Amino acid sequence: MTDQQLLWLLQLSDSNFPSGAFSHSFGFETYMYNEQICDAKTFRQSLIVYIQTQLTYTDGLACRIAYEQLKANSIEGLQRLNETLFALCLAKETREGTRMIGERLWKLCRHIYSVDELDEIVQTKQSIHPAIAFAAVGRKIGATKQTTVLTYLFTSVQTMVQNAVRGIPLGQTDGQQLLVMVQPYLIHATNIIEMLGEEELGAAAIGLEIAQMQHERLPVRLFMS
Amino acid sequence: MSWTGRLQCTAVVKDGRTVISDTYNEGALKLMRPVYLDSAHPTLYLVHVGGGYVNGDRYEINMKLESHARLMVTTQAATKVYKTPYAPVGQYTQFSLGDESVLEYFPDPLIAYEQARFIQETVVHVTSRSTFMYGEIITPGWSESGQLFRYDWIRSKLKVYQDEALVLFDHLYLDSRQHLTSMLQLGGYTHVGSLVALSPFITKEVLEQFNQFMEEMPQEVRCGFSAAAVPGFSVRILAYETSAIEAIFQRIHQFIRHQCGEKAPVCWRKY
Repeated sequence: MTDQQLLWLLQLSDSNFPSGAFSHSFGFETYMYNEQICDAKTFRQSLIVYIQTQLTYTDGLACRIAYEQLKANSIEGLQRLNETLFALCLAKETREGTRMIGERLWKLCRHIYSVDELDEIVQTKQSIHPAIAFAAVGRKIGATKQTTVLTYLFTSVQTMVQNAVRGIPLGQTDGQQLLVMVQPYLIHATNIIEMLGEEELGAAAIGLEIAQMQHERLPVRLFMS
Repeated sequence: MSWTGRLQCTAVVKDGRTVISDTYNEGALKLMRPVYLDSAHPTLYLVHVGGGYVNGDRYEINMKLESHARLMVTTQAATKVYKTPYAPVGQYTQFSLGDESVLEYFPDPLIAYEQARFIQETVVHVTSRSTFMYGEIITPGWSESGQLFRYDWIRSKLKVYQDEALVLFDHLYLDSRQHLTSMLQLGGYTHVGSLVALSPFITKEVLEQFNQFMEEMPQEVRCGFSAAAVPGFSVRILAYETSAIEAIFQRIHQFIRHQCGEKAPVCWRKY
């Protein structure tokens, strides 16, 4: 990796990168509200399962497939993937949230990295799933597929940790410790993702899905999903 | 590759009533003669003539509803999947719904026993003017050791296309070797219920009524529901027993039928 590539990836994975992801807990707030996630230990357990389910089978695998389709220059494949990813979100808030993050991420990346590979999809579908936008940036800056997927996983986990620090709340040191703790899980997940079949895309974590649905009706909310 | 069981049929409207035509079946899947629980709309019972699904079995079901046809489909008994040491069992179902047709599909629970592996793929084509309802229950079977979740894994996919665009993709994957008891998965519950209802009758107002309707839930289940990307909603339920899910399904089913102008409650008359 060149120094410039590293700097690009650092910027992209900064928790202050304004994709809007920090406004979404993706169902975790329901567990916080029910006090099932209430400290570093309970959060840590859920975060690991989150990496092994949602991030592996949906976000991570989607990022990998998108990278491969960009490489093969398959606009049709990307369109189908994008449609599939939105169809997989059964919870409305998560669907809308993902749409908003995807849109912002795409606009920003188009502007700062001059990525235009996905313009054809935008013309027909309006919003792009964040995993696809991320893959496009990874390709543009010349990062490998593995590095792109790993960075995407790290970015997603970092947002979840920052949200837990605010939402539970946890100490900042706890948060940073968690980010160290997840490192082997992220590397392992990236290896698993490389071996998965495309037919495994989107296998849901059912309890989390219910939490995402229930979030719509929580009386007090810090996050939009 | 050959099929263990295959089944095809078409529902058409004739003189104001839905009738079944072009029925075809082979192997272990059969269709009972349609039962008219009310005078205009038939109910179909799918029958598996063997004792259950075993190693490497493959099944295909293909049903078509022409415009205005209205059909209820269920099974005669629970679908039992036994040990599959060499190859998983596969079941592939296709429904095609014409304009203003109504399909209510509520099969009996799927029971997956020790070392069972099961793949189910259901593909549904609807139009913006058809109504589709589908309720599915997955339960762990009894095992010799008395332990739960002795099945290996179950993969169930439901894909709904509206005018060729994929609008809903429900992908359940329950793997007993992978953190199934985590609260992000079953969280101590054993039974999974999924219900999807897509219909032009499910307007914003109906969704609001549905919200209120769902406020009263029994304590012993965990339930979530949300609006779909097209008019309709999906529901997920975790419970400790089949009957708890069935009771909720029945209430939701009644609610939707009521919205679609069918006042009479459904009674499958199975037992």
